[in-house]
Amino acid sequence: MSKKTDTTRRAIVGATIGVGLGIGSLSLLAPVISLRPKKEETPETEPPKEGDVFTFAVGDNAGKEITFDDLPLEGPAVLAFPKDPKTGVIKSGEKTNLVLLIRLKPDELSEKVRQYAADGTVAYSAICTHLGCTVGEWDAAKGLLLCPCHKGFFDPRNGAEVVAGPPPRPLPTLPIRAEGNKPVVAGGFTSPPGVLAGTEAAGGSCAV
Amino acid sequence: MYRWLDERLDLSRFNKKYLNKAFAVHHSYFIGEIALFAFITLVITGIFLTFNYEPSIRMVKVAGKELPAAYASVLYIDSLPFGAVLRSVHHWSASIMIAASFIHLLRILISGTYKRPREINWFLGLLLLVVAIVTSFTGYSLPYDAFSATATSIGYGIGTSIPYIGEWISQVIFGGEFPTVHSIPRVYSLHVLWFPLLLMALLGMHMLVMVKQKHTQPAYAKKVAPGRILGVPLMPQQAYMSTILFLLYLAVVFFIAGSYIAHPIEVFGPPTASTPAVKPDWYLIWIYGILQIIPGDLKINLPGGAVMNSEFIGSILIPGILGVAAVLLPFLDTRATKMRYMELPTRHPVRTGVTFALLAFLITTTMAGWKQELGFTAGQLWAIIIGSSVITYLVVYYAIILIWGRPPKGDEAETA
Repeated sequence: MSKKTDTTRRAIVGATIGVGLGIGSLSLLAPVISLRPKKEETPETEPPKEGDVFTFAVGDNAGKEITFDDLPLEGPAVLAFPKDPKTGVIKSGEKTNLVLLIRLKPDELSEKVRQYAADGTVAYSAICTHLGCTVGEWDAAKGLLLCPCHKGFFDPRNGAEVVAGPPPRPLPTLPIRAEGNKPVVAGGFTSPPGVLAGTEAAGGSCAV
Repeated sequence: MYRWLDERLDLSRFNKKYLNKAFAVHHSYFIGEIALFAFITLVITGIFLTFNYEPSIRMVKVAGKELPAAYASVLYIDSLPFGAVLRSVHHWSASIMIAASFIHLLRILISGTYKRPREINWFLGLLLLVVAIVTSFTGYSLPYDAFSATATSIGYGIGTSIPYIGEWISQVIFGGEFPTVHSIPRVYSLHVLWFPLLLMALLGMHMLVMVKQKHTQPAYAKKVAPGRILGVPLMPQQAYMSTILFLLYLAVVFFIAGSYIAHPIEVFGPPTASTPAVKPDWYLIWIYGILQIIPGDLKINLPGGAVMNSEFIGSILIPGILGVAAVLLPFLDTRATKMRYMELPTRHPVRTGVTFALLAFLITTTMAGWKQELGFTAGQLWAIIIGSSVITYLVVYYAIILIWGRPPKGDEAETA
């Protein structure tokens, strides 16, 4: 056997092992795809839709339906989850379904907010557009909604525009109307609720 | 017994070689040891915690109340004899490990001992500090109370802000959009298994490289015994000193833990739809401060519709730039001869000035974490941060030159 064939043989064996190992290890990457869990769609995770009523999200009354009498005039805001009145399902399974209801003087609302409001009551997504905390505080002196995490201030009279702090965009508005003494959802959020990080922040409307 | 083992394992040779190993002596050399002791304490108290903790957010009924299992199990840990103390020891030790690692880093920085041939240990040390902080952060969510769940969801949000891959990475680490039923098991696995293993591997390499390269020595050693290693043997002197230090460490951390219970979850309560005003642990407040004062509409557009938004810039890009600068340092600041002795900070006014400016930057950005309470605007805080960093540099630089004179020209003429 000549030396030349010997090295060729070695190269072939080496290449075979290399290709085998390479493909074998690549196949191990398959489970990586499943590492990102699939989002499960349940009635609890559905977004708010036309006709939904509101229930208290926190506190002793959690789960109870909200009437206009439950909303103090001039704030503070009340945290609420939408509830499908037909099935009775409270949509608390999705973080971005959390909304805040605030009752203000109707004539103080700006033009663009008034079309989404029921009298003086407005509903906004309660999930801060910055890093997803709950916009759960009310600065009574300034009349502004406050996210406690990084001190983002939103003006509820003017479409929850950012007044101060780091949030990149206003809180999406949830159109509502009055049905009897209850606020009721009148359409989808005016823009996607929650954090839109890493992608082009959608400024446009996605109203349903 | 010793003879029996010695005949088979040749212990005498090992003892002669390693137990007599000379350890250089300087106060500052104990800081790294404290970080190591904190890590050992974390592992031991961590074993106790894993025996009683339940990594799940499914609701369980405890004393008539519906609570997430993880939260309930931490209440159970707190109810055990010394349970709350051991949990607090674990919490405070994490803080001490990070603090000691950072002071250790400052010592290396100010004495210039990252230079050739010590770059590898400089990189390993930087990596250790970052992994230690990440490990602490993953531990943060485990009690699953209102406070830690909120803080972790902010971490999730920051992760998603990475252009292109952020959403995927965050969802893989946190098992979907935090919090889901997958979140706590994943973070738990990372916190008690993979990150500690990584830390052990890095710590092992860090110390092996140090043994191989020999520790740097204080400048006085060169005058006393030039070219030789001046120090105390591992057995018995260094071993005694280290043991005493470890016992002192335990005494202090148990005293702190006995006096101040860490992260009182009963006060915070289980997570609700509402989020409390959270501040991260002290070692991340500087990033929290930057996030508060960075303009929210700041963004850099990238090809393909991705953006670097202000969250990414504030919490990943700016710390990342500091990290890259640290990695480049041993290539930019070099010397002709091998680094064997610590350099005097007073002979290197630029480097010492930069070190102090870095401290000023970290202190003032931490201060920005109290923006609301202090009543400053973002603009004022930026002026304070940049101003104090620049002024600190100038003051330190000129103070050194005024008091100790200009360092002699020519690379390390005085130490070579």
